[in-house]
Amino acid sequence: MKALLIGEYRQGKLLDTTYELKAFADRLGADSVMLLVGSDTELPKYAGKLYLADAAKYGEYNPDLHKQLVLQAVEKENPDCIVFVHSSYGWDLAPRVAVALKAGQVSEIVALNEGAYEVNACNAKLRRTVTPRSGRCVLTIQAGAFSPSGEPQGTPQLERLELSGTASAIEFVGYEAAEQKGVDLSKAEVIVSAGRGVGKKDNVPVIAALASALGGELGASRPVVDAGWVDHSHQVGTTGQTVSPKLYVACGISGAIQHLAGMKKADFIVAINKDKDAPIGEIADVLVVADVMQFVPAFTAKCAR
Amino acid sequence: MEATREIYWNVGHGVVLPMYLLTLLAFAACAYGCWKRIEVYRQGKPLNRLDNLRERIMLMATNLFGQIRVLRVAGPGIPHALFFWGFVVLFIGTLLVMAQADVSQPLFGVRILTGGFYKAYSLVLDLAGLAALVTLFGLALRRFVARPEGLKITRDDYLMHGLLSAIIVTGFFAEGVRMAATELRQNPDLARFSPIGLFVAGQFAALDLQSLKELHRLWWWCHFLLVTGFIAAIPWTKFRHLLTTPANYLFVDLRPKGSIATIDLEAEGVEHFGVDKVADLTWKDIFDADACTSCKRCQDRCPAFNTDKPLSPMQVVQQIGETACTAPQADLIETVGRDALWSCTTCRSCQEICPAQVEHVNKVIEMRRNLVLMQGEFPGEEVMVAANNVEVNGNPFGMAYAERGKWSDGLPVRHLSEGEGADILYFVGCYASFDKRNQEVAKSFVKICDAAGVSVGILGKEERCCGEPLRKLGNEYLYQVTAQENIELIKGYGVKKIVTTCPHCLNTLGRDYRDLGLDVEVEHYTVFIDRLLTQGTLALAPHQFDYTYHDSCYLGRYQGIMEQPRNVLHVAGGRINEMQRSGLESFCCGAGGGRILAEEKLGSRINVQRVKMAEATGAPLIVSNCPFCLTMFEDGIKTGDCEGKLAVRDLAEVVAERLATPLEIGKAGPELSMAAVTALAEVAGRIEPAPPEEERLAAAEGVSA
Amino acid sequence: MKILVCIKQVPDMESRFRPNGEKTWYDESDLAFRMNEYDEYAVEQAVQLKEQLGGEPEITVLSIGPERTVEAIKKALAMGGDRAVHIRDDRYYQKDPWQIASMIASYAKGEAFDLIFTGMQSQDRGSAQVGVIVAELLGLSCATTLVGFSYDGGTITVKRELEGGIKGVAKLKLPALVTCQLGLNTPRYPTLPNIMKAKKKEIASLTPAELSGEAELTATAAIYPPAKKGGGLVLEGDIGVQVDRLMGILKEKTAVLR
Repeated sequence: MKALLIGEYRQGKLLDTTYELKAFADRLGADSVMLLVGSDTELPKYAGKLYLADAAKYGEYNPDLHKQLVLQAVEKENPDCIVFVHSSYGWDLAPRVAVALKAGQVSEIVALNEGAYEVNACNAKLRRTVTPRSGRCVLTIQAGAFSPSGEPQGTPQLERLELSGTASAIEFVGYEAAEQKGVDLSKAEVIVSAGRGVGKKDNVPVIAALASALGGELGASRPVVDAGWVDHSHQVGTTGQTVSPKLYVACGISGAIQHLAGMKKADFIVAINKDKDAPIGEIADVLVVADVMQFVPAFTAKCAR
Repeated sequence: MEATREIYWNVGHGVVLPMYLLTLLAFAACAYGCWKRIEVYRQGKPLNRLDNLRERIMLMATNLFGQIRVLRVAGPGIPHALFFWGFVVLFIGTLLVMAQADVSQPLFGVRILTGGFYKAYSLVLDLAGLAALVTLFGLALRRFVARPEGLKITRDDYLMHGLLSAIIVTGFFAEGVRMAATELRQNPDLARFSPIGLFVAGQFAALDLQSLKELHRLWWWCHFLLVTGFIAAIPWTKFRHLLTTPANYLFVDLRPKGSIATIDLEAEGVEHFGVDKVADLTWKDIFDADACTSCKRCQDRCPAFNTDKPLSPMQVVQQIGETACTAPQADLIETVGRDALWSCTTCRSCQEICPAQVEHVNKVIEMRRNLVLMQGEFPGEEVMVAANNVEVNGNPFGMAYAERGKWSDGLPVRHLSEGEGADILYFVGCYASFDKRNQEVAKSFVKICDAAGVSVGILGKEERCCGEPLRKLGNEYLYQVTAQENIELIKGYGVKKIVTTCPHCLNTLGRDYRDLGLDVEVEHYTVFIDRLLTQGTLALAPHQFDYTYHDSCYLGRYQGIMEQPRNVLHVAGGRINEMQRSGLESFCCGAGGGRILAEEKLGSRINVQRVKMAEATGAPLIVSNCPFCLTMFEDGIKTGDCEGKLAVRDLAEVVAERLATPLEIGKAGPELSMAAVTALAEVAGRIEPAPPEEERLAAAEGVSA
Repeated sequence: MKILVCIKQVPDMESRFRPNGEKTWYDESDLAFRMNEYDEYAVEQAVQLKEQLGGEPEITVLSIGPERTVEAIKKALAMGGDRAVHIRDDRYYQKDPWQIASMIASYAKGEAFDLIFTGMQSQDRGSAQVGVIVAELLGLSCATTLVGFSYDGGTITVKRELEGGIKGVAKLKLPALVTCQLGLNTPRYPTLPNIMKAKKKEIASLTPAELSGEAELTATAAIYPPAKKGGGLVLEGDIGVQVDRLMGILKEKTAVLR
């Protein structure tokens, strides 16, 4: 089995997710070659053939041209599958390649299951195994689902790809930095929220410290916001923001319905509460029965390492 | 000597013609003014407020002559009533003079004002004039010297006080001067019956007759011209409330409190909903503005106004009036302001207290209807999400509808969908269905019913939000869609009686649903439990506890249910410490009018203010009867730093903890009550909001042991 | 200008999902359905463009699904769609993204749409393929994951949402297809007059047989609830032990700590 891995490159940098493609190919037990529209100065550590096209010429985002480059590599390598990361780059490009090859595409694979691919359905409330019915298939893998086991190694053997022309219906204009207006919790991957259980306003920074240690945002329950401990833009719940992070840590939040309705879509919920019977325990994946002000600093220290 | 006086003394019968001409002119000015005002009212849509005329007239008469609504606030109410009665007496006195001088005497030679009657007449009129003058002085002090916050002074106020005082003073002067000339010495016996006139006469006693006569003519004409001026000024000034306020008693809304016009969604050709222009209002809405006297009683009680939100019910009413007069094409919503409109909790305290029976709440709702139905606007995105959730899952939280009946697992509850009948349908509502805290209330209610041998049925996953918050927020469409589904279900199961633990469901199912075709008895659980206790179907093992009771707006002011819950709590062993604002004067928790779904972004927290009022009673417990209030108080106790000092429980929880076992019902005696008191004293003393289930069960076991 | 908006009716994600009898999709009983969230952004953007152009464009709403799908279509019409096409297909869930996209493309081919809006993915299947495949089949330029959109004289400027909150800006010439992401706009709440008008708008009905006979390229082998992610685990006792255990769990179960 042979996999063509499509690496990712943005704003002049190779993206780390590229290594997850190799990890996936390894899990699949497939031989792999890689394609990257990038630059010589940012080559992946990869022991194999790397088809390199110059991003300066073909753009960092130009799905029309990138599709043609991928098809060229497919022509040369005749792979069984073409693998992308399920990212803004991957999900945009993969179906174009799939249509050109009339290959079936399996999107956002989270696991392998006896030769079939596992994907989530319905907010991960169900899981599907999907099998391609076409000889060749296009796959996109969930970011983070296939982590490299060790440090990536190797030096790629370069083979350059060129297109005869660079005409395209799409013109990339440039990047716009993330906006810094207030807090947009709706897109945060990690949210650590403070509830009345933190005791007083002075304790809020302790919760905020855990949030930043986890690379996330600070959230808050309504009473905490009402009391003026935390600005309203941080409020999670029906009268605040509805959120769906990968990880939600509820610190000292008992779990009033308004709050639960705002955060229950989180993929994984950790609650830290003195009260074992607090309603939040019913939807939490893990309930840590402890004093928030004792547990959180200890845990933050551990995260910061 | 005969006890009477000569009418037109000194001024002579020659004045009759000019006097009547001037009076006629005054009335003409008055009528013209009224007509101009009526033109303003006629910009509104038609509305029949003259049905049940006999009842309306009775209501008007009692309210007007009894000054009942004015007297609800004693401070300014008593002087107003005294002044009113004084003025009425003076008016009747003047009519009697007219009747004798220009009708009975010239035509039939009959004199009314003579003898003992005249003496009484003189005394009463003098005292009435004095009362009017003194109260007017008091009211002037209040308005111009010791002015309460929020009371405005307008040009009309100066005019009214000045004119009325002048009329009375000139009247007394004319009387006094006349008496100095005709009674002081000639008929001192009669003069005693006009004590004020006598006093004034004394001041002029030294003058000669000619001077007195000249002075008298002067005062008489002054008095007369002031009165005609007053008549002419009525429709053009705040004096108009003399006509409009009593008329507003006549035009009162006779429907059950809280009735809102149900929009006909099927009506062909209607493409405009709610109010954003004066022409969208009914004439009564515009008329209300003229009946308003800016007494600010509504504003004093408005929970939004009292927490620094940009809403004053008085101002809304007046803004409507001003717009109708000066800029009928203006956008009312812009004039009143969105923040003001969304701030209303529909608590009805404004309408309840209004001495002029102005209808504030529906004006707000009609403008909200325009915002939602015509412009797709909500107070915030969170409310739009809640509306979408109701549309999809039948509850504002967006919880899966199929989980709605889950709280009842393991409880003696029958599911009507499974063909089981029951004594009552318990319409659970969204909060008691999904909110863990309020589920305790639902469970307690089921426990109570079970103890009383009442079988409880629920609609389970088929039940949907009653639609109340949506309707109050102006979303009439979604309300009707949701309501129709409930109504079809309830009718389909042949339900005879519904009990709710939520006053909002109660009002909606019991009153609002009638317009949509549901006619089933709907009762609040506090009334239901009170009856079970009275009938002896339910027995409690009472033990003493101190509490304060919160009259939720929709149970108290809207439904008038205030006695029964207190009675139940009394039977349960409660000793009440009333809050200053209770009963009809209760202060909203902040969640009404759909505000439960909205962020409270402006001003301070209503719930905290109410919790502080409860805390001030010193009672460790506030008992609620409404899931919204319970939720707001749980939050308010935390935010207001009352944890440990005050706890909130629903009435059902309090009762469920004190259920007597069947054994006890049989042998209930003093030693049992003592045992109950001892065993449960611990629980009563507790101040945590909700003792964990085990503890409560343990306490309950303590009773039966 | 002719605009097409492709929408899907999906279950509300709050519901509890169970596999159906065939174990190929979810069981529909006890589910509440609504318009796919991303498609609401698509409808809204189309209506905003129509408003920008003074009401000139005609917006066609297309959806594939069983009878109940009409509810979602009506909502899109109430939001401002002009007419609708309902491809009635009770077995829609057995079709893969390729087949669904082929049906749409087959319908759209003869209609010469200038601009097609779709959601970036459906909330139930989440493949994020259909829009792009339609664009490829029709030869339209295409951009996905829009959080910004503007139109000026035959060219659209889009902002794509990239990882980490960065946005990529690109220009496309019409005809084009774009897929819409959370953050693009706030879908309007339909006004009552528009809800009433929507009831009278045309909903053309088509059958799958009239459109495309493409065979599937992928197949669902099975559908099942995911293995319990250690739900409801209660950690009690020593703080140090709790910290270590939670750390281990987060490393294992989430992609957040690595």
